[in-house]
Amino acid sequence: MDIGQIPKNLWENSGFNRLGLAGGWQSLVMIIIALFFLWLGIKKKFEPLLLVGIAFGMLLTNLPAGDSDMIFHPEWWTGDAAVANGVDYLNVLQHGGLLDILYIGVKTGVYPCLIFIGVGAMTDFGPMLSRPSSMVLGAAAQGGIYLVLILAVATGMFTGGEASSISIIAGADGPTAIFLTKTLAPHLLAPIAVAAYSYMALIPLLQPPFMKLLTTKKERMTVMTSTRKVSKKEKIIFPILVTIIVSLLLPSVAPLLGSLMFGNLLKECGVTERLSDTAQNALMNIVTLFLGISVGATAIGTTFLTTKTLLIVVLGLSGFILATVCGLLIGKLLYVISKGKINPLIGSAGVSAVPMAARVSNTVGLQYNKGNYLLMHAMGPNVAGVIGSAVAAGFLLAVFG
Amino acid sequence: MGMTLLSGIFASDAKISVVDSLLLAVIGIAIVFVVLIALMLIVTLVGKAFDGSEKLREQHPEWDEKISSVKSKMCFWKKEKKEEPEVIEPQPLASGACGELKLINTEERDAAMIMAIVADSTGVPLNELRFKSIKKAEDEEK
Repeated sequence: MDIGQIPKNLWENSGFNRLGLAGGWQSLVMIIIALFFLWLGIKKKFEPLLLVGIAFGMLLTNLPAGDSDMIFHPEWWTGDAAVANGVDYLNVLQHGGLLDILYIGVKTGVYPCLIFIGVGAMTDFGPMLSRPSSMVLGAAAQGGIYLVLILAVATGMFTGGEASSISIIAGADGPTAIFLTKTLAPHLLAPIAVAAYSYMALIPLLQPPFMKLLTTKKERMTVMTSTRKVSKKEKIIFPILVTIIVSLLLPSVAPLLGSLMFGNLLKECGVTERLSDTAQNALMNIVTLFLGISVGATAIGTTFLTTKTLLIVVLGLSGFILATVCGLLIGKLLYVISKGKINPLIGSAGVSAVPMAARVSNTVGLQYNKGNYLLMHAMGPNVAGVIGSAVAAGFLLAVFG
Repeated sequence: MGMTLLSGIFASDAKISVVDSLLLAVIGIAIVFVVLIALMLIVTLVGKAFDGSEKLREQHPEWDEKISSVKSKMCFWKKEKKEEPEVIEPQPLASGACGELKLINTEERDAAMIMAIVADSTGVPLNELRFKSIKKAEDEEK
């Protein structure tokens, strides 16, 4: 036995050696990007609950290792064999690494749905039910999704499925973006998820300039009167009605919207407090943890560091801005129709990033009128936006799925 | 129906033309509006129905008795386990007049908090205390 061979083998099998091989520089760049995202999440608090997980998954998956030591095998999920014959789940369970196993929840669409149960349990649809017209604002902001779809197709670089997945970033709804992308463009999951969550964290910086640009001072100062009180029964009936109507119309979105409404029903029905509490806290936290780390794992240097990723970042940013503009313009229209009773600032909250976008409407409103609290009024379009982006995703799934 | 017509036209891995994307965008946003406006109308109707029934119940308090008697007749399966209603002895009210409380520049919520704090710190039950008015002291600049 040649003792001298041991250190040589150790070196050849080490990740340090692999960094110098083909694709090594890409892994190094991805490690730096992962560290940057960790800094953003921890130091700057940009969506830390997800970004820290995504960044750590990114870090783990880009540390070079031999085939038998790999914790994630992207080719099993998006390789030619997987595209042609479907994913070999038996192989994944028998030989997969930790992140392969966790990724099953993303690939099957289970995580986004479980997260939506938690989101539903945390959402109060009361403000929307008390002012049903706010649903129009939630619909208007989805205009951003379709405008980005046209832009993405116009670049000539994306297929229909890829363009649809990119466009859903404008919906400002992470679980919906993941749900759509895992079906239509799984190879773009990492850049789309990272872009969606990063821009959601940047909403307080992205939206206000456009809110001020597109509205007059008089409009921004509009004080909205309180609306009718919503009864408990109405809050219980609503999730059941939405599930039936939307699922009949768009069956493809039933898992996502059904989960959202199920979570909300747990909260409102008053007899499942323990389940509602679990959905809001334990379940949400566990799934967020799994989702973040497994989505991050898909950000492999060779597929992430491409021109397409850069374009996705630019298109995603455009989408957020266009969605804000669409919401504001319809907000202005409602201001005119209601004879100055609806503050157009609540239109920007239709982009569905709950409750961040509603908070931004409130903050901008307060800057111009110190007693004007728009938060509850903005929550209407905000939660309507969640339904709107799910409907938009359902439509795209039905067309391209 | 629209979904059935559209599905299968485009494969997710095929490129589509800008004209097709424009058409999709128009149909897509129309569907989002149709779904949300339909929900808006339904929610409005349900809300009106609830408000209307509340108003009717306020106008006709005698209906409550009729409704409860009908309900009791309908719930025939509950007859078997008829239980004597628990008799709750009415608690004697605290002696002392209630009167009216005047709030000056004070929110009802703040007033309720102040009264609860006074009752707690003095050890006297709230229904034995009498508040005539609560006025918010203006901040003086020093």
